[in-house]
This record gives sequence, structure tokens and C-alpha cells, in this order.
Amino acid sequence: MQKEKVRLHVNGRVYELEIDPNRLLLEVLRQDLGLTGTKRGCDDSSCGACTVLVDGEPQMSCLMLAVSYQEPEITTIEGVADGCELDALQRGFCVEGGAQCGYCTPGMILTAKYLLARNPDPSDQEINEALSGNLCRCTGYIQILASVRKAIELLRQEQPQEVER
Amino acid sequence: MSLPPFEVLRPWNLDAAVATLGRFGLDVKPVAGGTDLIPSMNQGLFAPKILLDLKGLRDLRFIRFDPERGLTVGAVTTISALTDSPVIARHFPVLHAAARNVASPLLRNMGTVGGNLCLDTRCLYYNQSAFWRQSLGGCIKNEGTICHVAPASDKCWAAFSGDVAPALLVLGASVRLASPRGWREVALADFYANDGLVHINKTHDEIVTSVHVPAASAGWSGAYRKLRIRHSIDYPLAGVAVAMQRNRDGTCVQARVALTAVNPAPKLVKGAKALAGKRYDQALVEEVAADATRTGKPLRTSASTMEYRRHMVRVFVRRALQEVWLNSTWTRPGDN
Amino acid sequence: MSSFPQPSVIGARTPMVDSVDKVTGAGKYADDLTLPGMLVGKILHSPHAHARIRSIDTSAAEALTGVKAVVTGRETPVKYGILPVGHDETIFAVDKVRYIGDNVAGVAATSEAIAEEALRLIRVDYETLPAHFDPEQSMRAEDYLIHEGRPHNIEREYHHHFGNVEEGFEAADYIREDRFDCAEVTHAALEPHSTLAKFDPDGKLTVWSSTQVPYYLMKTLSSTLQMAEENVRVIKPLIGGGFGGKSEVIPLELAAAVLARKAGGPVKVTYTREEVFYAHRGRPRQIVELKTGVTRQGELTAVEVRVIQDGGAYCGYGVVTILYSGQLLNAMYDIPNVKFDGYRVLTNKPACGAMRGHGTVNTRFAFEQQLNRIAAVLGIDPVEIRRRNFLKPPCRTVNDLRVLSYGYPECIERVCDRSGWKHKYGRLPYGKGIGIAGSHYVSGAANPIIRSMMPHTTVNLTIDSDGAVTIFSGAAEIGQGSDTMQVQIVAAELGLAMEQVKIIAADTGRTPVDLGSYSSRVTFMAGNAALAAAREGKRRILAAAAEKLACSPDNLALEKGGVYYRADCRLALSFQDAVRLAVGRDGTLQAAGTYTTPPDSQGGKFKGAGVGPSPAYSYSAQVAEVTVDSESGQVSVDRIIAAHDCGKALNPLAVEGQVQGSVWMGLGQAVQEEMIWQNGRLMNPGLLEYRSPSTLESPPIETILVESNDPEGPFGAKEAGEGSLAATIPAVTHAIYDAVGVWIDTLPVTPEKVLKALEEKRRSCELTSL
Repeated sequence: MQKEKVRLHVNGRVYELEIDPNRLLLEVLRQDLGLTGTKRGCDDSSCGACTVLVDGEPQMSCLMLAVSYQEPEITTIEGVADGCELDALQRGFCVEGGAQCGYCTPGMILTAKYLLARNPDPSDQEINEALSGNLCRCTGYIQILASVRKAIELLRQEQPQEVER
Repeated sequence: MSLPPFEVLRPWNLDAAVATLGRFGLDVKPVAGGTDLIPSMNQGLFAPKILLDLKGLRDLRFIRFDPERGLTVGAVTTISALTDSPVIARHFPVLHAAARNVASPLLRNMGTVGGNLCLDTRCLYYNQSAFWRQSLGGCIKNEGTICHVAPASDKCWAAFSGDVAPALLVLGASVRLASPRGWREVALADFYANDGLVHINKTHDEIVTSVHVPAASAGWSGAYRKLRIRHSIDYPLAGVAVAMQRNRDGTCVQARVALTAVNPAPKLVKGAKALAGKRYDQALVEEVAADATRTGKPLRTSASTMEYRRHMVRVFVRRALQEVWLNSTWTRPGDN
Repeated sequence: MSSFPQPSVIGARTPMVDSVDKVTGAGKYADDLTLPGMLVGKILHSPHAHARIRSIDTSAAEALTGVKAVVTGRETPVKYGILPVGHDETIFAVDKVRYIGDNVAGVAATSEAIAEEALRLIRVDYETLPAHFDPEQSMRAEDYLIHEGRPHNIEREYHHHFGNVEEGFEAADYIREDRFDCAEVTHAALEPHSTLAKFDPDGKLTVWSSTQVPYYLMKTLSSTLQMAEENVRVIKPLIGGGFGGKSEVIPLELAAAVLARKAGGPVKVTYTREEVFYAHRGRPRQIVELKTGVTRQGELTAVEVRVIQDGGAYCGYGVVTILYSGQLLNAMYDIPNVKFDGYRVLTNKPACGAMRGHGTVNTRFAFEQQLNRIAAVLGIDPVEIRRRNFLKPPCRTVNDLRVLSYGYPECIERVCDRSGWKHKYGRLPYGKGIGIAGSHYVSGAANPIIRSMMPHTTVNLTIDSDGAVTIFSGAAEIGQGSDTMQVQIVAAELGLAMEQVKIIAADTGRTPVDLGSYSSRVTFMAGNAALAAAREGKRRILAAAAEKLACSPDNLALEKGGVYYRADCRLALSFQDAVRLAVGRDGTLQAAGTYTTPPDSQGGKFKGAGVGPSPAYSYSAQVAEVTVDSESGQVSVDRIIAAHDCGKALNPLAVEGQVQGSVWMGLGQAVQEEMIWQNGRLMNPGLLEYRSPSTLESPPIETILVESNDPEGPFGAKEAGEGSLAATIPAVTHAIYDAVGVWIDTLPVTPEKVLKALEEKRRSCELTSL
């Protein structure tokens, strides 16, 4: 097996590295780029802890061969905050207890981010549907739902108010 | 766990992909979303020397509908693209329902139509780690000689567990394949074989490029029912797809019923033909449901018992037929 | 008296102090850690359920390029186990393997692929032995026993008799007997176990591990590696969920250390998900034969129970699990006569252990279900029958458990009110049902695992002259909020904002001893120790301030970041100035607090009396509403209302999260989770086939926090993280009965079982109508 030179676009940066073609993006992110916020939870692609955004869409990095993901922009949990400014979802998860052990949290936040980008005003059912591929073992999902709700509220408050004419 | 070593080839067009398949033969395995193959490779079920990554084949990523020519979906189209498609939701409700029931949102973003149609058959004795399988001495599908779910049989009974295939079967779909020898189109019903070991009639150098649904199937009422323990993530323990063309007066013009996850292949229920030309009749529905339980032969390939899965095939056929037959999309409020 | 109100940090909805680390991905879990030159460790597992090891040939593995160490059982013969009475494990099997997945050898190599290749090169010659899988058969076995000195494969049996059950049953108007069978379930924490071990050139060992019990891990590393305790340091990074699965020493934690020693370099071992299932330590399958007598009015006269637990191949926490299952029949209701026969049985499967609600859950399911059945037979409302059997605290139960605070009656009333019980029970249309049940749990075990005179926990506090407060605590944050709780308590007592208080926790080289995060002990015990330390710090600050201000410390209060005169709430000194005075006076400003359980909470003197006693018990009552599809047998849980008596909700956000998580985990056990075995082979060793619920099966859970203000809890607090789990199961099965009229006595309640019960009911109705 020959190593391949790859260029990965992760969190707005370009990484050039040489990797074996059988490396999963999950491993490369964690081991080569030090982006350990992306978690490994299962080995059968059932839990969603390894979720990253691929051009904004949540996918599981445990299924992705790193050499095959050189074109799209990859966003990991480390790329969600703007410097020290937390994203509304991150604040929502802090305030409403969405992160207990925190292990599913990166995947939850990234998946929810995609949902809110497509649907800024989802129903509870729509939130639950969107998050149904991300397993959590701590919360029973109640405070995760509340956290996403909180983020929606925060985003609404932060939106520039329409001036009445 | 680490994947076995391999090379990844990423062709940019179909010709290059097909040529690669021709050149490397059995050493190469095509992969698109990876949702089926990568976990299986993790478990040591496959160790191809070359992975042919089809994701870059933009030409195979499309949903085209024309009222005259029907629906064509490129093989590399994701399942999410199906669920997001208003055209499919409107004209092919059974396909839409089945797509919505595939695995989880994350997996639907990755899994493809071609991949779901070519899904490997599944079994609790097969989809396990190398350690696990070897502790049992393997099975007929992999590294062994016996089938643990039917020890007297010399056949593999692993179940085909795709959700999309039964929906396409009831719509009368066909698949198009490319190989170094050219193109070939085959009815989906003939694409599958009822053998857990070789459940797809496709040579190793062929690629499914698209699936086609005839225009005549557009607008059929449809329903998909899936038995599972979790309402997300899970493969089906049994699945029933129903499509029906009906007259305005509620007469069934023709109907098809297909099953998944209860045989090595997705299968049409023959008895559904008897519904053609009939008005709604509970006894007819029961006959089709009974025929479905003869068509579906669940074994201990997955969680839940065989008896229960068979029972649920009957329940689902009954309910899905009632749904498509009695709920009219053009019924005015207050009718019925 | 101070005119200041109760400190506002107590009782406020408080985000976790480590939440930013968790939402940004910055926080490090064990598998996120790397060290220069780090090797990958892997473990070879047994493919046989029961076999003698004739020989192991590691030469080919050792010869493989990149392999730095191979270790087998011969090099690691020291036995260990979490309980002093259950030292039956070795790091790697010495002579026998006892389950599929047992640990045979370890390898450290420069890459994962090489380590895996090395495992394939190890040749083990096994002589397979007949194996024992079913506990009721295993306990009749004469030959091929799993461990020496355990006749009939019985790890331990207990026979308790309190009061006189014969008399009790004689006094009963109605006696009911049922058999319950609850399937084995597992924690399925999302983080697979991981351990990184490193030896310093001076021979000292540092281990970072996903553990709920750093102190016990340190002790076990010391004993199995035969090193002095002071040379072993265990650090607990962030933990991705425990639920008991990391509450005893797990083989990889020791394997990483022995491999690091032999390889001469740091070694990290991270389990695959399948290995997590083999490490297990989950809730055992439990068979409960329960007999209860009541008067016509529904007053309990006697309870007799026989419990068999399928413990797996090693003791683990097993002796405690079986004792809890009997002892904690009590302390819910007033039961005058109780008889308990408990058997912890060895089988050739992975060892069971402590899982959320340890030992109590399946017996509680059985008891509450039987109580509901009795109520149905006698025509008493299930709520009323509970009311008639409430304890009357303060009291001691018949098995000598001390109960002081008891919010159970209020829990019951609150869930009834919220759910509209009176209008719903027995009155919903066919297919819809409502059910009720209760449960409880200890706020820490009154007796430590290793009996000693040491405190259960110690918390140290350092206050620097710049006013920075640092807590040093051994308590293990596992996502339940233990760090946040201690910061809250110290901040509240010192009158500071939470941001001014930092915590360093769970590092045996830096923090004082705490026994760990198990049996819901942390809030009560570490919380009390943190409170005591803060009080001592406060005393010294106020003493120094009083000296300066020439008044009595009694006239001063430490509030809102300053020292105030009590009389007129006037600011006397800033916190920082007061601290400087104290440091100037004493040289340093440090304080320690400890917690030891009161002697009268430590239980009786009989054999097995040590397990069950607690300084305080939490209580839960729940109402579940379900829809049952009688054609498919499918049950959907529509809503759960859970009232939990947590004494005092120090942080309602965290308490609600704990209660919801417990209820939800109980729900998983009730309707869908199960470890499926076939001849000792786990059929579902992964998260795809072991189905913990997704969002879509998870109903709304409404929590009601009941505050009974325990006289000994910190600010009145008791446990919140486990006590609500057990009630969910019988509440759901009761609701199923209310919906379609069948009782399901085996778990999980699969649709098949519901259909079968409906079919049997139909048949028996037909028979009676003949």
C-alpha cells in the first residue's frame, strides 16, 4: 500500500499530508490533525459520534476514506465557534444541559447546525427526526431538544430586527 | 480496528470506472456511500486490493422525471436526495416513503440508491467481527461450510435488507448496468436471486448506473411499512411496499406488493395480481396478506423471532393495502 | 442572624463548569490523549466459553517488526477484583478462559495494524471444557466448575429473614406469587473504554483512564503490578458516560500498564465497541420469585423473595449486586416481615456488575408489578395501596436501614395530580393505558467497599492571596456534574461567584482520596466534604477579619464577594483583603473537609448487612402513559411523568438531566434493550444490534423535583442519578395492563410477548365462557 499525498480542507484551513489510502477521515482528523473533538463511539456506523459536516451536510467520518474527501470543505466541532465566540447551538447546549458526558455533543451540534441552516423554525418532531441518527446515552434527549430550542431562540434574538416602515 | 490495506481509485467518468473494473477483475470493489462496505471491511468480510470510489461520478447523480418517459435516478444519487425530491414525493409516494425509512438521516446523506439496491445480504451470524465469526468457525457465506440459521441447508439464507428495492419493485423499475461489454438493462425483479451468497445477477465488472421507473407507474398510491425496533438507524426486520393504480371510483386497476428483509432477495407477492379490477374488499386484502406470508420466509437472520416477522408481514400488507386503497388523494373532505 | 437570603448559586439552574470544553471539542477524553513514542496496545480474547489453556506460543508475534511487547497470564498472576471477597480475576488468563472474550494476551506495537497482526500470530492451544450458560442449570452443576472453591458455581448466596414471614403470611387475606425474568442489559456508554499508561524513568507509573473509580484503580494497579501505591498515579480525564460500566477496574486498564512496563514506552489501549460488550459489568439477567401477602385493605404483611442472578464468569461487584436486590426491597414501604434468598451464580459469560440502579432495578420491577397486580385483584386503587404502606420516618426498617427524609408520599401525590390519574386509570379507551410505580436508591453506601476507618471522602481547599479558590477533590466527574456541584457548594459557602472557584479533581497524585463515582455517593459525600472544607476556610477568613476589625467573627458574614457586618449588611472588607489577612496570619490558607457516614446509618450486624445501608435514600414515583397496538403487539410510550425526591436540588438543571436520563434508560430496559446470548456467544455486541433508543422512541419526560430536605445532606441534598430508573419499568408494564389487560412479567416487553399474552388471555376467556 502506497501512501497518497492529499489536501484536506478542514475548518477553513488546508492541510497537506501523506496518508495510507485505507485511513478513515475519523482517524486522520483525530490522529494526524489533532482534531479530537470528532469522536469514535461504535464500529458499525450506528452512533453518529463521529459526525462532521461535508460541505455543510452531516456525514459520518467513520465511513469516509480520507483520500476520497479532498474536494469538499470539512467542518468539525472545532470549526463551529468563531474564535472565542461560541455558536448559538454551543451556547444552547451549555445553558440547557444538552451536554452531560459530552461524548455525543459534537455530533449532535453539527447535525443540528445543518437542520437549522435548512429549517430555522423546526417543530420538536422535526428536531427529533433530524437528530435520530445520533445516539446519546445520558440525557434521554430531553435536554438536547431543549438545547436546540434555546439555540433557535438565541438566533432569533440575534437576528437584526426588521425596522418598521 | 484498522481497515485492511488497499488502493483507492477515483475515476472522474463512467468510462474510466468501467475500464478499471475490466482491468482489475475480482481485485476491485466499487464503493459509493460506503455505508455498507466500510463497516463490513472493518469486520474483515472483504479485503479488496482496490476500491473504486464512484462518488466522483457526477453523471450518475441525478433525478430526472418526464411524464412521458418516467423517472430515472442515477446510481450515485443519495437517499437524502430521494427524500428531498418533491417529484418523487408527488408521483412515487412508495419510493419516497421507503427512502425516508432508510437507516438514519446521517446514513441517508451518505448511502446511495445504487448502494441500497446492491446491499449485501445480512445475517446475525455474518455481520460480526472476524473474532466473533472465527469463534464459531465461520458460516457458509464466509469462511465456513454451514448455515447457522438453517443447518440442514446447503444454501445461504442471509436476508436482503434494503428498503428502496421493494419500493422500486412495486413500481416495475429496471436497472441499467454498464460494463466493458457495453450497456444492459434488466427488470429489477430479475436483478435479484434468492440466494444469500449471490443475490444479485451482476457480474463483477458491471456497475449499476441508474434505475428507471416507467411513466405508467407515476401517480400510483403507495405505502411502505418497516418493522424495526428503533425508529431510526435500524435495518428492516421485515418490510412491505405496496403500490396501487386506482380509478376515481376506488377500483384497483392494478396493484403490486413486495417484501424485503424476509428472504435473500426482495420479492413481489404474486397474489397481489388478483386485486386488478376489484373494488375494495377486506377478504381480498386478507388473501394477499396470506400470500405474502407464504412469499416471505424469515429465518433467524436478525433480531425478533421468525414467527413475529411473518406475523408482521401479514399485518403490514393488510394495513398498507388498506391505506392505499381506501385513502384517496383526490377524495374531497367529507367523502368516504 | 444574617439578613442575606440563601446563596443564590444553590438551587439555580447552573450550566456545567466543563460545558464549554464539551461543546467546542476542546475537552480531552482518554482516547484523545497522545504521548511521544506512544504504542498501541491490543488484547487477544478467548474464542471459547470455557477452556483450559495448554500452552501459548508468542514467538511469532514477538518476532514481528514493530512489536514491542507481548504479555501473557504467566507474567501477571496476581489476582484482583473490586471486592475484597472477590479476587478472582487476573490481567490475562493464567490457566483457564471462562467466557468468549476473556483476556488471553496483550500486545504493544508501533501501529494498530501491526498489533492486530501480532494477535493473529499468537498460537494458543486450548482444551475446551463443558460450559455453563443458564444460571438455574449452572447452580446444579457438579463438574467442570468455573472457579475453584465455588461449589455448584454459586459465587455467593444469602438467606435473610427479618420478622417472621410465616406469621405474616398467616395474617394475610391474599397472597400472590409470581415469577419474573429480566434480561441482561448493559451500560452502552458512548465512549468506549480507553487507558493510556506511561512509566517515568524513575519507575513511577502514570495512568490516564476512563474510570469512575480512580482510587480503586490506583490500588489495583499497585497490587497487580506489585508497586508501592505512592508510585502509581491515576488521572481521570473527561469520561464519555459511565453508568457503572467504568466503576470497577476493567482489564484494559491493567493491560495498558503491564504492556507499558514491558515495552518501555507509553501504551494506549482503547477498546473496540465489541470489546466493551465483553468487558461488560452490566445488569445481570435476574430471575425473581416473589411472594407477597396483604390484608384485605392492602396492607403488606409479608414478603418472600428468591433471586437468582446470572453473574457471568467473575465476581466483580456481584456480591453487592445480589445483596442490594434483597436489602433494598426495604426502605420503600413498611414491610414487617421479609425473607430473602439470593444466589449470585457463575456462568461462562462476561462478568456482570454495577449498572445504574445497581441490584435494585429488577427486584423493584417485580415488587411494584406484583403490588399493582394485587391492587387489581383486590380492587384497590394502585395509588391508594401505596399510601397504605408508606413508611413513617424517621424510622428503621426491619432489616435495620435508617430512613430520615422520605419524599415518596409527595412524589406519589404530585405525579397523580400532574397526570390526571383519577380520571384516567381504568378509564382510557382500549389500547391506551396509564400506570404507576415507585423506586428508590441509596445516596452512597454507608460502608466502603474496603472497610477502613478512613473518611469516605476528603476535599481540600486552597485559597491564594489573590483570592483564587481551588478545590482539590478525588471525586470523579463522569458527566453527572460532580465538579459543578462542588464548585457550587464552595462558592455558595464562601459567598463567591462560581467563576471565582476552580476545581482540580480525580488525580490520585494531586487530589485527596475519594472512593469514586458509584452508588450515587458523590453529591451526598463529596458535597458534604466540600461544604465542610468551605466552612473551615470561611471560619479562618472570618477569624482573621474579626481580628482586624476588632469584633467577634459571629458579627461578620462572608457574602457576595466580601466580608459584611451582619448587623447592618455593611461591607467591611473585600474577599481578597480578608484572604490576605488570613494568609498573613496563618502563613497559608488551606482547609480540608471530610465525610464519614454516621454510625447509626451503617446498618445491622448480620451477614450481608453492610450492603443497603445509606445515610439517605432518594425516592421516585412515576406515571407512564402508553399506546398498545393489539394487532402488532407494539407498545409506544407516549409520556412519562417522574417525581424525584432529591432532598434539595442544588442544580435543578443537572437534577432534571439525571432524572430524565435514568427514566429513559429504564425505558430502554423496559421495552427494547437486551443482550442476546446463544451458547455463551453474544449475538449483538454492537450499537447497531444492541438497540439503545434513538430520539424517535424517546417520549417526553416531565420531571417534578420534590425537596424533602434531608437533615444530613449538603444543603439537604440527596442522590438524583439512579433512583428514578427502576420505577419506569413497572410503570410502563402497568400502563400496558391498563391498555390491553395483560401483565408482562419478563423483560424486555417485546411485541412478541404482548401478542402472546393477548393470545393466552383470549384463549382463557374462551375457556371460561365454555
